[in-house]
Formats: sequence, C-alpha cells, structure tokens
Amino acid sequence: MVDLVARARDGDSDAWAELVRQFAPLVWSICRQFRLQDAECDDVGQNVWLGLVKALPRLREPAALPGWLATTTRRECLRVVAAGRRRQAQEKHVDVDVEDERLAAPEHNLVAEELYAALRAAFAQLSPRCQQLLTLLLEAETLSYAEISTRLDMPVGAIGPSRARCLARLRKCRELAAWIEAETRRGGA
Amino acid sequence: MVDDRADRWWSDDDQLLSALDQAIHPAEDVPDGFVRTALACFVWAGIDADLAALAYDSAVDLTELANTRAESAQLRALTFEAADLTFELEVTPDGLAGQVIPAHGGELQLQLSDGTATTVRLTEHGYFRIRPTPVTPFWLRYRFADGRTISTDLIVL
Repeated sequence: MVDLVARARDGDSDAWAELVRQFAPLVWSICRQFRLQDAECDDVGQNVWLGLVKALPRLREPAALPGWLATTTRRECLRVVAAGRRRQAQEKHVDVDVEDERLAAPEHNLVAEELYAALRAAFAQLSPRCQQLLTLLLEAETLSYAEISTRLDMPVGAIGPSRARCLARLRKCRELAAWIEAETRRGGA
Repeated sequence: MVDDRADRWWSDDDQLLSALDQAIHPAEDVPDGFVRTALACFVWAGIDADLAALAYDSAVDLTELANTRAESAQLRALTFEAADLTFELEVTPDGLAGQVIPAHGGELQLQLSDGTATTVRLTEHGYFRIRPTPVTPFWLRYRFADGRTISTDLIVL
C-alpha cells in the first residue's frame, strides 16, 4: 500500500488501477448512503479521484488513505445534496432549511464503510496463502476443515492456528491498525 | 456492524472474520462506468496542458428546471472555457459536433482515457465532428502554433 501510493505518485497507472479497485467500493457505498442518483455518484466520484491525484504527493502516511477518501467523499456528497436542495427550493419556493433525509446518512455507517475499505486494503497485503485460507473459510461455511485441508494441501490440525495467525496479521496491517487506533480514540472500543 | 459492546470486537477472530466477509462481499457491485471514470482521472490529471474548464452544461441547466420542460428532447450542449480559447460541444444522435473559438484552423486531439488519441480536423471556422460519441471518458486538446496546448476538463457523457 505504501508502495501503491508512492508508485501512483510516480505515474504508475497499474498502481492507480489497484488503488481504484481497492477503494472504489468505499467511494461508491458512501454515495449510496447519501442516496445519490447514479449521475450524482459519478460527479462525486470524479471530484474525489481527481482530488486524490492531486493529494498523492501530500499523502505521506498511506494508512490515512481510507480516512482521507471517506472524508473527501462525504464532503462531496454533502455538496451535491446541498446543491440539489437549493434547486428544489428554487422550484418550489420553499425554505432552503427544509429537512432533507439525504443529509441524515448515519455517521456510524460511514465509519463502517471506512472499516471495510481498511479491511480490503489489509486483506490485499496478506500472503496468497492467507488470502486463500480466509477466502475458503468465508466462501464456504459448509466446507469442512477436511475439505479445506485437501484444497490447500494443509494438515487439518494446522487450519485453526493458521486462521488465527492470518487474522492476527490482518490486524497488524497498517490500514486496519490505523482504523482501530482511530476507532479507539473515537471511543468505539 | 460497529458494535457498541465495551470490549474490542476486532480482537475476536470470529467477529473480525465476519467483518472481513462483509468487506470483501459488498452488498452492491460498483458499476463499471464509475470505475472507468476513476481510472480516467489519473490519465487526465497527468496531462501537461492549460485547462479549459466546464463553463456550461445543458444537462445541469435542464435539471434545474426539472419537470417544467423536461420532455422537450434537447441535444446536450457543453462549453469549456480557457482564457483565450473556448470549446463548444454538442451531443448529436450520431456523434459529437463542435467548434473551437476563435478559429485558428489546425487540428484537435480527441484523447481517450485508455491512452489512445485521434486527430480531428478543424474547418477554417473551427468546426469539427466526432463519430461515434466516445463511450469512455475523454477530453479534447488543442495545440497552438507556438506549441502551447489547452485541454478540456474530463468529459463523461
């Protein structure tokens, strides 16, 4: 991830594509939480990504990326919602202060979206072995340890400890560690 | 998802795994167009040219007058302005039609976000046509005789 930001900053479009792959779901889901239309989401997305290209040189701490994206997307969504309200007010000659449920995107949902983005980024940094194991564990609750053992060529007895080890590594990945730290500060612990 | 319990839910393997499940299996897939625009932003931002910014978009204008005349099927028109050059662009049923003002002749580059570019001939009055309408984000670039270039904002139709 350190790598991705640094590489994108140096003009590597593959690194940018990987950042987009990891973080487009974050930007998109926040737009959805504000109940934006598709065209409004595109508008927000364009501003967020262009903003990120410009911010790349300043992003010294790549672990801050999920938070930066969440905050920027939220701000852009609020801008779009406010513009929509102004238009509505003009049409209907109503007070601009009219209640708009679109502004009420719950804060804790945004925190959750940020968490998911951090988890995706952290997951992408795990070893292929850990990724495979966790994917199998998730994909198939019906899959027995015996079947997982066969597919990964791993002794059944090693699955439990490996699962714990991979999840411990996940927690230590900088994006997730940064989220946990922020959440602890927010008092969500 | 974020638990209100006093202990740290993420210290629990089962809960962390369940959060990861939600993270890598989002409820809704991100639309392709949304991703394409994100990819295009990088290419566009990397160009070295003066900017002609979006000054007018009939689609936005129409939204502001929503419902009052929404049914009058108008062609979409966009205007991009730089200090000394304006790009007018109209989306027609079979492509794009436009004009570079003031007319200096020469040619225009249609730059697609996948890195490919096409040369578009300008008439002596600066008119041009592009067929068909690009389906991916794109921008237009004009080069003056002295080598200076001016590029429009990223255009997503």
